[in-house]
Amino acid sequence: MEIAVLVKPVPDAETRLRPDASGQELDPEGVKWVAAGYDESAIEQALLLRESAPGTTVRAFSYGPIARAEEVLRSAIALGCDAATSVEAPPGTPPDGLAVARALGLAVARHPASLVLCGKQAGDDESGIVGPAVAELLGLPDFGVAVNVRWEGGIERLSIQRSVEGGLEGVRVTLPALVSLQQAWNDPRTAKLPNILKSRKAPIERIPVADVAAAIAPSASLLARRVAFRLPPPRTGAKMIEYSSPDDAAQKLVRILREEAKVFP
Amino acid sequence: MSGVVVVLERVPGGIASVCGEAAGAARALAGGGPVVGLLVGPGDSTAATELAVDKVLTADGPEFEHPSTAQLGALAAAAADAAPATTILFPGTARGRDGVGRTAIRWGASAATSVTEVTRDESGSLHVRRPVFGGRATEELELPGPRHVLSLKPHAFPLPPARSPPASSEPLAIPDSPKSSRPVEVTGFTPTAGGKGPELGDASIVVSGGRGLRSPENFGLVEELAESLGAAVGASRAVTDAGWRPGSYQVGQTGRAVSPQLYIALGISGAIQHIVGMVSSRVIVAVNSDPHAPIFQVADYGIVGDALQIVPALTREVRKARGL
Repeated sequence: MEIAVLVKPVPDAETRLRPDASGQELDPEGVKWVAAGYDESAIEQALLLRESAPGTTVRAFSYGPIARAEEVLRSAIALGCDAATSVEAPPGTPPDGLAVARALGLAVARHPASLVLCGKQAGDDESGIVGPAVAELLGLPDFGVAVNVRWEGGIERLSIQRSVEGGLEGVRVTLPALVSLQQAWNDPRTAKLPNILKSRKAPIERIPVADVAAAIAPSASLLARRVAFRLPPPRTGAKMIEYSSPDDAAQKLVRILREEAKVFP
Repeated sequence: MSGVVVVLERVPGGIASVCGEAAGAARALAGGGPVVGLLVGPGDSTAATELAVDKVLTADGPEFEHPSTAQLGALAAAAADAAPATTILFPGTARGRDGVGRTAIRWGASAATSVTEVTRDESGSLHVRRPVFGGRATEELELPGPRHVLSLKPHAFPLPPARSPPASSEPLAIPDSPKSSRPVEVTGFTPTAGGKGPELGDASIVVSGGRGLRSPENFGLVEELAESLGAAVGASRAVTDAGWRPGSYQVGQTGRAVSPQLYIALGISGAIQHIVGMVSSRVIVAVNSDPHAPIFQVADYGIVGDALQIVPALTREVRKARGL
């Protein structure tokens, strides 16, 4: 039983966002790259499934500039993943989910897995394009927004719960399949120090960048070009409502919502 | 002429409201071309034909009751070829959005999700704007043509009025491929605990309460105000961690991200983990007893005061103003 987990390097949550000199990208200066939060859920889910299915191996895959990809792959290994494959982004490739999907699709196809896990989206571009696109490329069914994934009577099938509008949908999944995680039903584990140290020396397979470029080529003319990365105008703080009594405050607020903000139902 | 297919998602009693918004956005994109709704799954099609579309194509076989992303993608591509259309809009719902990446690969299109603005240039490229980093920044993308697959961010586009008379509907000629891909095997559905009123992610108004309510009983004041506004109820992590309300109420980095027209934060100080889940709301109102609470930095309107006194007065005033 092989499980593949797709992990995207994203700027860590403390990053101060600002555009670079071109105004088209996030300024990468000083950014610490970490695994995307939902992808951490996918790693955790893969490790939990492995615990209840002896003989299972979990391989993590990451696409991006090689240093970033390998940084998050080492953290995946430190958490307990058995193997890792880095997929180097060809320089100059736009950061489009279709390119990422084709690159990762190539890598996963070289290590066929019964189950591919990933986060439902990454915390930077929040696109959610890669998972379903990888599924299409690999000919797998895909199941999104899963919050709980368990084996159902052996390792042929999974029982999952999906967080959809209005509630939780229970779904039976026959493998092979791709499942994207919204949030693990328990908090992701943290790596232990000896494992972190060991992960520094762990081997990471590299997919040659020429192969990656060839895999992306069919989508090359379709990739989105980012023309601007902007911060919202700084919120200058609330307009404070002065009032003489709670009723006065309520009347003033309702009038503002109706006449000024025009959002009163 | 660049027709648009709008994929319609059934919800109990009709069509997800975000599909109506997409139909309105589609009209501007179509440039005189057809706007065609694709209704997947068995059941009544009346609600679909009242949306702002020219025609509804239906795929109402029992095998489409719980369509897989693969089935949706194949049907959407077939509908686009029939329409004819160069753009496919998926609903910005949990299930709908998954159709974007898959269909873009299958149909040979460029792709973007959670779009808040979109225009077409003379060359046929689309220019879209979308929030990134939890609404802390936006990006603008140029999507090369001729084909595009998008999903729109809920409530970023106005809901056009219902059309009258209704649009015509006719069955879509089903291509072979979705017949061979299997539907989703749904085994059950558990509605979200508690929460009367609209669903958190889909509501145009959200009223959230925090620790400033001081007890689980007082949290009922939040729910009364929400009910008077027809709003969904949210909560800060302090409230869900304390067990006052279930985790499904939580707005924030580790809960739900919402972007309603109006967000009202009651007794919420504004920890960064909460802010990232609501900062892209259009209008933000905060009530907090601490004038230095960080929530007032992101709010548009602020009231410094005890939520326990302000909220009941506000509920009374809203009821009066709405004639309830």
